[in-house]
Amino acid sequence: MKTALIIALLLACAAAPAAAQQSDYAVKKSYEERYRAIADRIDSSASMQELDSLRNEIQKLETAYAAHEAFLDKALYPTTFTGSLQRLRSLQVLTYDRVYLIQTQGVKLSELEARIGSLSTRLDSLTSQRDQLFGELQESKKSLASLREAVKRLTANLKAKDQLIFALVDSIFLPYGKDVHQVADVHKEAIEQKLEKANVVTRVYEIAADNVKFLEVTQLQGKDYTNLIEQYETFSTRWGGLKERMAAVAATSAVVPSSLQTGKGTAHAPAVKGGALSVGQASQSAAAQAEHVDSVLAEWRTKLTGAFWSGLQKEFSAAKVGVAPFHDGPTFSASIRTYVATLKAGTQDPATFVDIVWKQKIDKEWRDGLMKESMLGKTEYAALDKLVSEVSKESIDLKLILYLLGVVVIIGGVWYFLFRKKASASAEQKTT
Amino acid sequence: MANFNDTSSRRLIPAMNRLAQSILVAGSMVVLSSCAGFRLDRVNFGWPVESVVTVTASNTIEDVRYGVSAGVANLAMEEFQDSTALRGATLRMLRSSEGYYFVTGPRFKHVYVFSPGAFSLTLNTSIAVSEAGLRNPALNQRPPYVELIDGDSFRRILTSDDIVEAKK
Repeated sequence: MKTALIIALLLACAAAPAAAQQSDYAVKKSYEERYRAIADRIDSSASMQELDSLRNEIQKLETAYAAHEAFLDKALYPTTFTGSLQRLRSLQVLTYDRVYLIQTQGVKLSELEARIGSLSTRLDSLTSQRDQLFGELQESKKSLASLREAVKRLTANLKAKDQLIFALVDSIFLPYGKDVHQVADVHKEAIEQKLEKANVVTRVYEIAADNVKFLEVTQLQGKDYTNLIEQYETFSTRWGGLKERMAAVAATSAVVPSSLQTGKGTAHAPAVKGGALSVGQASQSAAAQAEHVDSVLAEWRTKLTGAFWSGLQKEFSAAKVGVAPFHDGPTFSASIRTYVATLKAGTQDPATFVDIVWKQKIDKEWRDGLMKESMLGKTEYAALDKLVSEVSKESIDLKLILYLLGVVVIIGGVWYFLFRKKASASAEQKTT
Repeated sequence: MANFNDTSSRRLIPAMNRLAQSILVAGSMVVLSSCAGFRLDRVNFGWPVESVVTVTASNTIEDVRYGVSAGVANLAMEEFQDSTALRGATLRMLRSSEGYYFVTGPRFKHVYVFSPGAFSLTLNTSIAVSEAGLRNPALNQRPPYVELIDGDSFRRILTSDDIVEAKK
């Protein structure tokens, strides 16, 4: 045991001068080589485990060369031993963060990819459901109850599709942050490919066209319009946002719905199926694609507002209230004001207009739609409502006067028959 | 009177000139002597680590960090009796804290110590360090000395003139 210890000590003593005789240049060089090797491994590292082990390597490097710190401080000029290690540690931390982000983002991306796939499938199933519902709508026109049910289901279907398409769009853009302009070109291309793969523009067009078709084939009630106006406004706003983001990512290839290639997209065009695009079709610019969707959106708006105002006009004509024709908020307001003025000036009974049309129909079924800023607006509706209520008040006062007159006549009659007749009879008796 | 004055002024002017010249010379000497005596002390010229330089095809070496370059044909001639013997060879160069340049290399039997001059390095000493020639020498800064090592067992502590300590 002792002999072994002595041998070990002798070996250590022999090794000591060898270690002491190391060339400073060799120390510097070996330090630089190990340093570079670690830095290279950090740079090429793709896993957090590897980076964890490299952190330990840095620690080992520091320990191994700590004895040469004073020398390395000079030899590594303009950096120092501590400074160089600090830089290596910063590199490790930065790379760790980057790899962590890539790995976690990778998980998120795969989740989002799955979500996009699922949303696309759901949209497709809603499309087939929509076809069925349009068929039901045609058949159920005979029965009012079944018609209402079909309209309700179809509205829900269209709304669900509307929400799904933008959920799909959000899922595509989500990993890249809010400002698409800041996204690297390679990511822009990835977004573009995803938009293309998910047929986003085709689907947006399809939904807008469905809504146009829905408005064409459906007889709606006043209360139906509130949701439809909201749906249109939301869709329009979100499309505006998507269009902006699409313009930001549009760089190389353009994606155009196949149905749009043959002519102008209208509501009469068959609903776009699939929307897979060939390379030849992908020649139009992003602006051109956007224009097609814009045009169908404009048509949607025209149909929606047209149906709204004509539906409202029918409420007056059905009650035979002769308001002047109107086609938008200002003309409606002008018609009502004119009609109220006519009522005030004339002797016409306002009861039908006030009680049957305004209170029972307009205020109950159309008010929410009319109060939308894009239709009439809250302030103007409130002003018109006040104006109409004044006519109503006047009519109530007139009735009251008539009632009172009637009561006075009755009381007078009773008094005449009871007291006047008795008095005349007693006078006759006196004279006889 | 005027003549007298003229005569005396003729005598005075050379004397004054001589005095002025003397004052000028004395003043210049004072100034020059004070300039010559002005120096900076505690200068450390030492490089922290030797420079490993490769001799180019044109027989020159260059150290980028310290901005030193030199022709080494004479060195090759001195050590190997062949002015081209060092082409492609790797030399070790280190400036000592005193300001001398120590140069050696593989197969060298000497360490050459140079003192810097105007556009030149003048040989100060040639220190014989190995009869067989060095194999893979290295120079380390060990103020006020320079350490020469070659492998694990060869070590010399050098001054600008000689070996002060040797270990085999």
